[in-house]
This record gives sequence, structure tokens and C-alpha cells, in this order.
Amino acid sequence: MNHHRRRFLAQTLRAACAGAGASLFGKLHAMQRASVERAPAPGDYKALVCVFLAGGNDSYNLVVPRGPAEYATYAAARGDLAVAQASLLPITPITSDGRSYGLHPSVPELQALFAAQKLAILANAGPLLAPMTKAQYQAGSVPKPKNLFSHSDQTVACQAQSAGADGGYGWAGRAADQVLALNQGLALSPAITLAGSSRLLLGQTVIPYNLGWNGSVPLNGFSGTRGTRRLQAFRAMLNQSHGNLLEKHFAEIQDQAMSLDALIRSGLSGAAALTTVFPDTSLGRQLKMVARMIGIRGALGAARQVFYVVAWGYDTHSDQTTAQPNLFADLSRSLGAFQSALGEVGAEADVTTFTLSEFGRTLSSNGKGSDHGWGGHQLVLGGATRGGDLYGTMPDLAIDGPNDVGRGRMLPTTAIDQYAATLAKWFGLTPTQLASVFPRLGNFATADLGFQQA
Amino acid sequence: MMRHGKRSAALLALAVCAACGGGSSDHYQPGTDLPASEADAARLLQQATFGVDEASLGRLMHLGYDTWLEEQLDKAPSWHKPWLQQRIDAGTDTWQSHRVALWWDRAVHADDQLRQRMAFALSEIFVVSDESSGLENDVLGCADYYDTLLGYAFGNYRELLEAVTLTPQMGKYLSMLQNQKPDAARHVEPDENYAREVMQLFSIGLVQLEEDGTPKRDGTGAEIPTYDQSTIVGIAHAFTGWNYAKATNWTWPTANLLPMEAWESYHDTQAKTVLDGRVLAQGQTARDDLRMILDQLAAHPNVGPFLGKQLIQRFVTSNPSPAYVRRVARVWADNGLGARGDLRAVLKAILLDDEARNGHRTNPASFGKLREPLLRMTALWRAFGGHAEDGLYDDLWDPIGTFGQSPLESQTVFNFFRPDHEPPGTLGTAGLTGPEFQILTHSQITATTNAFEAQVFRGYAGYASARTDQVLIDVASLRALAGDPAALVASLDRLLMAGAMSPEMRRAIVDHVTLEPLGNGTQRALEALYLVVTSPEFAVQK
Repeated sequence: MNHHRRRFLAQTLRAACAGAGASLFGKLHAMQRASVERAPAPGDYKALVCVFLAGGNDSYNLVVPRGPAEYATYAAARGDLAVAQASLLPITPITSDGRSYGLHPSVPELQALFAAQKLAILANAGPLLAPMTKAQYQAGSVPKPKNLFSHSDQTVACQAQSAGADGGYGWAGRAADQVLALNQGLALSPAITLAGSSRLLLGQTVIPYNLGWNGSVPLNGFSGTRGTRRLQAFRAMLNQSHGNLLEKHFAEIQDQAMSLDALIRSGLSGAAALTTVFPDTSLGRQLKMVARMIGIRGALGAARQVFYVVAWGYDTHSDQTTAQPNLFADLSRSLGAFQSALGEVGAEADVTTFTLSEFGRTLSSNGKGSDHGWGGHQLVLGGATRGGDLYGTMPDLAIDGPNDVGRGRMLPTTAIDQYAATLAKWFGLTPTQLASVFPRLGNFATADLGFQQA
Repeated sequence: MMRHGKRSAALLALAVCAACGGGSSDHYQPGTDLPASEADAARLLQQATFGVDEASLGRLMHLGYDTWLEEQLDKAPSWHKPWLQQRIDAGTDTWQSHRVALWWDRAVHADDQLRQRMAFALSEIFVVSDESSGLENDVLGCADYYDTLLGYAFGNYRELLEAVTLTPQMGKYLSMLQNQKPDAARHVEPDENYAREVMQLFSIGLVQLEEDGTPKRDGTGAEIPTYDQSTIVGIAHAFTGWNYAKATNWTWPTANLLPMEAWESYHDTQAKTVLDGRVLAQGQTARDDLRMILDQLAAHPNVGPFLGKQLIQRFVTSNPSPAYVRRVARVWADNGLGARGDLRAVLKAILLDDEARNGHRTNPASFGKLREPLLRMTALWRAFGGHAEDGLYDDLWDPIGTFGQSPLESQTVFNFFRPDHEPPGTLGTAGLTGPEFQILTHSQITATTNAFEAQVFRGYAGYASARTDQVLIDVASLRALAGDPAALVASLDRLLMAGAMSPEMRRAIVDHVTLEPLGNGTQRALEALYLVVTSPEFAVQK
């Protein structure tokens, strides 16, 4: 970590601790006090939910051109990876670009959401530092994100604005930083990951909370007279001085887990069970837990939250034709169930769900699957989304065509910065805050892609 | 074939050594570097084994550091596959959970502790995982891969790299198996997966490094990439043409565990530009291309600092000083006899370095590493004779759920945690890395702490409702000390914490234990043990 960030973090942490402490969820007592001091306006709630498709989603098989000429181009590029034309689920975008499109046959729920104008599709987005043509890419005349096509680097590139001066903070975490004041009543971090460590949610002040797929679980062994005594000793070990910082960090995580467990469990146990049936998959379970947490937003005092879930298995180098239908079916069912559960908890208009993936994939095949690419299509859904339409520019899928920078890697025509800024603007960030969170935003033609209602 | 040949050669060498006395206690004479205290000895054992037990503590105190390490380095491998093979041959249902059960057994009982520990470390660098469609049901394949790591654990890096590269398990996991030359008409291009990860993760990393592991900088202060996309493309082309051994049909080969073999007709014979602009001449065979690339990678100056630092992190400390990394990198470059990549010498250099032996004294605020959750449990089992009546360690059937990790079950090739992970909060603010903290999530820490609660209070020999498949610990030695809470706690400190327990922690436990009626001593023993194994001080190996 650079010294800037270190110093800044220390300052921020100190400032936050010295103040109301509301943002630092470890400081539970301060927060409980704060919760009676200032509650958010009733009904003022917004959440962003990121569904990260880990491994690099081959989205060119999710949204496929159906017209004869375009399909022929697609099929020629994709070879043995092509989805059969007749199997595509047709969609009719509100704004036509003169071509017709269909979705992968495994995603009927997404087709229905698109038809209901709850799902928008953003075409060919990816990490960019500035707009770039193929000629500029080839000439190296415009800087490009470092280590394109590498999992770890591109995960950071689409989750964090690492070219900025402040290093590796996640843009959703930084967006949550900006609206912390609205979360005065929230003892919990406004950033919740269901998938372990999350760069996306790491803000300068906001530190993500890790929630289990089944909610929070209490520590066992602390009930009864003996258990109460044991808990005292256990706490004494946590609260003692820790000269070693690794020890101190461990103690803090254990302390946070204990402090917040009761809060989350009592909230969840007081909520009505969801009737929506989710797929019993890792993604389905994660999204179900997010829906339940959103269901208790009032009890928690949450006004702005960001969530992170991960669907694994998208790195389809081999067996793509067997793996992809399962991945897409799971995604479609899980997102469909999530949208329906949001309706149950009365939050459909307040929650925007969006996909990210570290990269798209090569159009060309390796004989069994596809390789790491660059641009890819993303999905946005929710009651605040201007769904039923395509945004951005659909790429020309011809190998060696104007979008292809090699092997059918699509040069993105929309930057992740623009995509994220559109979401963050809806989340409530001002133009000044957007410029601070997305330092490169000014490099691009528009900061608002229009897929979110004002 | 070569891999098995090499392993056999290694075994033969060990057998010869055994015949001349190697492996027997007589052969190893105490050296002059005896540990100054049991605490010092226990620290090395924490770093080099799966946990301190009385036998290893006594042995190390007797032999001294260097000789104890030599003895460990000479020990024959306790393989993993044969036991699973026997089960399968006997027609017994055998799943990945049995492979993991055997891993626990080896971790707790194998006498080649250092080799088992090294294989585990290597399994977190050269990652393959049964969390992939190709290996999900391949129990023997995963065990065989682990045995490959065991076999080369103290060998030469260059040979390890080739052995790993040619396992069909890695071939499946990172799709080099059946990777074929370009077919322009069908827009088929070679897969880049292995070409990329062999550089990014298994050898040189993304940026050029100084000998001390810090990044080199160009004139503008920017880091300097080690390779670019064109390098990956070149190597991907060079890595074409490999399939299962003895295959008679490229597309429908018969799966087996022999090292992959080359099919020249599927190998791209065009010239390729690979690392640092080197050109592989047109017309070379698949094996020549592979050999030249692996030679070049193994000779790259990054390898020592890049992998040496990661090994330091696996064994000793998350934040080694640049000088420590440099000392290890120098041994990587030359073992003193002119050989490069001698992992045996590297491992000794890591464990005998002054920073490893004294870092807890010289840099107490940041020295050490969070124990991996699996290693917290093995430390408990080794110290207190963890044993299941049915001989299997398959009670903990879901280590991922309980511990957030499990051998060869990572979600991705990037392992459970990254070596440069800076956890947000205290460590990140201080600019410190803590790789293992990446899996210490709020939900995970609770699951792990609860696993210790169950193990201690409902998993000791004598527990009334114990099941035969349950791993039970023996707390008789602790029970005997229950009348003297200070002695009880000191005994735990000695075996589990290398005598480093702070006075505050000691007081908290002694006070709590003293409030517990003595009875037959069991409850006092359990209370003290539980508090130690769930404490922040135990969680960090220092």
C-alpha cells in the first residue's frame, strides 16, 4: 500500500472514531446511540446489488444477434461455441438499432424481465482508461488498463478505480462512503459481501461486512452460568492489549462478528419468511440472503446499502457448451427469484441489481471453450431501471472486424466507469462526488448512460 | 513417465540412505545449534510442522535445528494416493472427502512433517482444485497431484515445474490438455490459460522484481511488466499438442495419470516469440518448445524473490523484510554448490534465517502470520493426540464451510487467499499484508471458533456421547494439572503457543479456570484449552 493511502486511511479512521462513529460498525455502542439520534426519512432507501460473474462471462452467447446476416457473422466467429439460431429467446428492445436479438435459451426468466421492462442490457462494456479505437489500441497511442485479460488484474480494474491517486478502493465502497451521512442509524457496515473479501465494496471509510449465506451464526458455548463466565474470559482475551497487529486484527474481526451477530439475527428472526423459492445454488442462496437483509432495512436503520454476491465458474476454457447452459440457467432463475423477492419485501423500486465480470471472452474457440477477452455485455435490473432496452453499442462480431483486437476480443465501446457512474448517480452521488469516485469519468463522452430513472 | 521415473529415483536414493543408516536415530548426531529453550524449539516446530507434539519437541531439543531439519529433509514421503487406491481396489466407495480425511491423517501423524507441510504450501501456489468440472470426481487424480508435490517438495524447482506442467490434472485444470495448434478456417486459436498462469502464478509474476522482492521501477517510477499479451500468445502456441499419455485418438483419449505426451500433429511448429523477445525456431517439437520455455522461466531472476517470498509467507511470516527475501533469493539462485532452485536448500534458508528464528523479538508488532484455519486444528490434534476410533478423519466433512479452506479445493487458481492481500482495518492501515485474513471473514471466524468449541467440549476421550467417527483429543495430561490452574495454562502455553502467552491472557484464563470447581479436573482442562485455541494470541503464529 502506498503511504498516501496508509496515512489517509489512518486519518479517516481516527476522524470516524472521534465523531459519531456511525460508519465504523465495530463501534457498536456509539452506533446504538446514534440510531436514536437520527433516523433516515421513512422509505428513503436505495441499494445496489452486484452480481459478479467470476471467471469472465462469455456474454456474447447470452445476447445474440438473430437476423440472418448478423447471426451468420456471429456463427462464423464462434464456430463450435455458437448457440443455435432457432433456440434463441427473442427480445424486442424499445429502441431498435435495426437488428434483432435473442437471449440464450437457458434464460427465460431474463427474457420475461426484459419484456416487463425491468431488465436493461448494456452492450460491450469493459475497463478503459479513455476511449480507444482499434487503431489506437494497435498503435499503443492511448493508455490501456494494465494486464488486460488477466483475472486478478481485470477484477480489480472493473471493481476499483485503480488508476486514481487513492489506489485500490472499490467504487461501490467509495460510493457508500459518499452517502454515509444518510446511514446514521445503521450499526452495520453499509457494504455487505456474501462472497468473502470484496474489493468492490472497500471504501476509504467503509469496510465491508461479511455475511454468511444463512445469515449470521452465533458463537456457541456462552449460555448458562458457566457459559457466561466463559464469555467473560473470551472477551477479556479479545479486549486485552495486542502489541502484535495481526493479533489485534484477528481480535477485531472476532469482536465485530460477535457485536453484529445479535443485531442481524434479531432482525432476521423478526421478519416474515420469504415465499419466493430461490434456486438451491450458491448464487441463489446468496441472493436470498440479500433479499432477507433488504427486508429488514427498516429494522436495521439502513438508508443506503451495497451488496456483493459472486457466481463462480464462468472461466469456460473447456466444456463451455455443457457448462454455459447451467451457468446461465442458474443466473436467470436466481435473478428472477431475487426480483420477485424484492417485490415481496416492497423494495423493487429501491434496489438496482447489476452484473460485473472481469472480462468478456474471445469469440474464437480453442476447440473446447473460449479464452479471456475484454468487453462484454452487462445486465441491470430493478424497478428503477429503464428496462426493456439495449444501451451502449452492440459490437461487430466479425473476427478481425472493427471491434476485434485479436481472437475475437471485443474492444469495449463503453467504459466500466460510465456504467458504474450511472449506477452511483442513481444511488445519490452528486456530480462532484462522482468526479471524485471516478477520476477518469471526464475522459468519456457521457457520465450517464441513461438506463436508470432519475 | 519422467515424473514417475524421477520419483522412483528419489525413493531409491532415500532407500539407499536408509540402508546406510539414514532415517534411524543413530545416524543423526546432535549438532551445536541446540535450541536455547523449549520455547525456541517449539517456534521452529510451529513453522515447520503441522503442530508441536512431545515427540517432535524432544527430538528437536536433542538434535538441534540443523540436524533436525536434515532428518526431516531425508525422510521418505508418506504418499497419499496408495491408501485411496487400495480403497478403490477393494470396491469401497471413495470420495474427495476420503482424500481430505487422509490429508488430515498425514498432517497429524506422518513423520515426514516438513515434507507434508511443504507439499501443502506448494498446493497453495501450484493450485489445482476439485472445485472444477475436470477434477471434481477425480479423487485419485487429486491425490496423485498432491503426491507429485510431495515427491518434488525438496527437489529442484525446474523439475517440479515440469512435473506439475505435465500432470494431466494441471492439464485439465488450466486447459493445456488437448490444447491444439491454430485452425484458421474454424477461428480456433490455442488456449492461453496455462501460458498465462504459469508465468503469473507459478514462476515469475507480473512485474520485474529486485532480488529483495520489491518491484523494479522505470525512470518514471512505474513498475515494469515481466511480459505482455504477445508473450502469452507465443507461449500458448508453444504449449500446443499435449494430450493424455498413450492416447490413440486425440479427441477421445483414455484418461490416466501418467505425464502428458506430445502429439506433434497437433503442435504448432511455426516460430514463436516468447519471453523477453526470445524466438523459438520454426519446426521445433512440442517437447523442445516446452523445455526451452520452462528453462527460461526457471532461470528468470524473478523466480527466487517471487516464490521465495511466498514460501516465507507460508512458513514463517506474512511481512518478511526485503533483506530476508534477498537472503532466501540468493540461496534460490545458488545453493552453495552452484545449483539453482534447490528447494531443500531454500527451505533450510527460510527456516534457519535469523528473522525466522528471532523476528518475534526484533519486530514484535508485525512479525508472524495468521495460522491457516486447517493448521489451527492440526496443532490441537497433534498436541493432544487427536484420533478417531474408526481411523478416519472424515468427521469434518466440510472443511470449506468450517475453515474456509480445504486441500486442493480452492475456488480458483488464485488459491484461497492472495500473498499480497492487505485486509482492510488495522493491518491494511498499517500497510501490512495478511494473506490468510482473506478467508477470515466475519462469518468464517464464527464457524471456525464454533468448530473448536465442539472439538474441545464434545470431542475429548471420555466424552459420554462420542461417536466412533469422531476425532477425540486426549486431555488426561491437562486433567492431571487441573488442581493448579497456573500449571495447567503453562502446559498449554508450552505445546500450543511456544511459551509466548502474554501475562494478560494467562491471567484471564487462570481466573476463569479457578472459578470452575475442580471436580475430576476435566472441565477445568476443557475450559483452559478452549480459551487458548480460540484466542487471538494462538491464532497468530509468531
